Amino acid sequence: MGLQPLRDKVVDVATAIAGVPDGAMIALGGGLSARLPMAFVRELIRQRKRDLHLVGSAHSIDVDLLVAAEAVRRCEESYVGFEQDLGLAPAYRRAAETGTIEVAESCCVTILAQLRATELGLPFLPVRGVRGSDIVRLHPEYAEVTCPFTGEVLVAVPALKPDVALLHAPLGDRYGNLHLQQPYVLDERFASSSARVVATVERLVSTADVAANGVTIPAHLVAAVAEVPFGAHPTSCYPEYAYDREHLSTYVKAAQSGGEDLAGYLKTYVYGVADEQEYRELIGSKRLTELARWAQSTADWKGLFR
Amino acid sequence: MKFSLDEWFVVLLARTIRPAETVFHGFGSPCAQVAMHVARRTHARDMTLIEGATYAVNPDPRFIPPTSNDASLQRGAAYSMRFEEFFDAAVRGDVDRMFLSGGQIDGYGNTNVTGMGPSENGFKVKLGGGGGGCNLAATIRHLSLWSSRHRSGRALVEECDFITDMGHRTPSGDRAELGFTGGGPQWMVTELGMFDFPDGHARLTHHFPDVTVDEIGAATGFELRVAGDLRTVPPPSSAELSALRAVDSLGVRRSEFAPAELERVFDHDPAIGCAC
Repeated sequence: MGLQPLRDKVVDVATAIAGVPDGAMIALGGGLSARLPMAFVRELIRQRKRDLHLVGSAHSIDVDLLVAAEAVRRCEESYVGFEQDLGLAPAYRRAAETGTIEVAESCCVTILAQLRATELGLPFLPVRGVRGSDIVRLHPEYAEVTCPFTGEVLVAVPALKPDVALLHAPLGDRYGNLHLQQPYVLDERFASSSARVVATVERLVSTADVAANGVTIPAHLVAAVAEVPFGAHPTSCYPEYAYDREHLSTYVKAAQSGGEDLAGYLKTYVYGVADEQEYRELIGSKRLTELARWAQSTADWKGLFR
Repeated sequence: MKFSLDEWFVVLLARTIRPAETVFHGFGSPCAQVAMHVARRTHARDMTLIEGATYAVNPDPRFIPPTSNDASLQRGAAYSMRFEEFFDAAVRGDVDRMFLSGGQIDGYGNTNVTGMGPSENGFKVKLGGGGGGCNLAATIRHLSLWSSRHRSGRALVEECDFITDMGHRTPSGDRAELGFTGGGPQWMVTELGMFDFPDGHARLTHHFPDVTVDEIGAATGFELRVAGDLRTVPPPSSAELSALRAVDSLGVRRSEFAPAELERVFDHDPAIGCAC
């Protein structure tokens, strides 16, 4: 794979996604409804990518929207949904129940071990759990291995090497140095185990500014970077903005109803906008400003969750 | 003063935490999440509370938001673990307790959060998924289970359609045979009563005062074993109720219950001291 040379890596979102082939294994950064790479997700759909194999820990609208747009062949996450608040992921659920996607549900610990195997240049790593769980039935690629030192039987999980990692960060520079706020979730592991890492950032700033905030993912792991304010919307990207619960709720309702309602969401928010600038205009500066007001007071912050 | 079933339920979950324990909740689990903050503000002030999706250690949130991965859950935490830091601690045995629930739970405490089925395509109803559960259930010292849908008759079942997280015994063997280092389910709290797991199988130890054992039996799919000294669940203290109301002012815990359960209201006896 080799490390990335130090050069200007700024691209636009369409160019970054044009390099993603159909059938690619894609690692999605962020987790639940926080810091998901939504600008990339929308562009994958606009470019009508197909047969994607999605890998991640706990995810929500990113996976659901890609499944809704029929871009996905295989889902390998530990969770896809909208928690107790907005419930099951409607498109993912429907596709899993009708058999139009392969459900390869995994576990945070297992995925972590599989990425670490790649990082270490090893073919597999063992995990202690998983035995006795029916998750094994979804993964014929797992095997049992006997420890040569203790005789313990453990589950061997193969190295996982995503073709592309799609990440979103609050800050980055032109060379691909990225600053993230915790939780980093699996972003660091994806960055060092994936063949190609592309990132969107809220703001492109100088290397000194990224360094002053702390480099979480270094330029030598990143192939391309695009500046996209509100690129995680409708999910959160702290310290910039909280998640847009109202928008997520609108999406979940459309996806639950399916058919024309879901097609209508995709038409309005994905196919109907040429790029992220048009997307921001569609959401409106009034709403985007509200989401960024979380830091003003507890009442403002809490108000976003009512 | 009055209190509601959801409040009592969360207090019972909180009491499964012992002082000085290191405790974790899965994401999307508001009752368990609120319970941990109640415990930390009442009887378990020296516990180590690890947030379910931010991995913040001992945060002091002003409120619990409806999503587990939100910066409000890191407020006041001097330190947040990284993803791998938490999971490493859990698999090597440094985490004392985790809360787990499921769309289905069997008598051995196996849980299903993957899907109801079976059907020709795999699942009749695909649920969200298990997060880290199918590894963590093997190694975390104790598990506190809960179900807020016991009365439906579909939650506590004879056999899970799919075992996501392992309890005391699966068709592949018991915990010793599977090489697990954690102790498995210790308690299970439902909106009808409370269970322990002597000999690795659920046993009813407490029931809510407005629920009969017959009703619990009718709602339970596995063989109902009942403790010889069955009691009503102990009431919440003023301190617990006030900690709960302070931390869960948005009422996120209520999203776990059927509307009829939220109508269950009880009178508080101010003479009751803190259970701690």
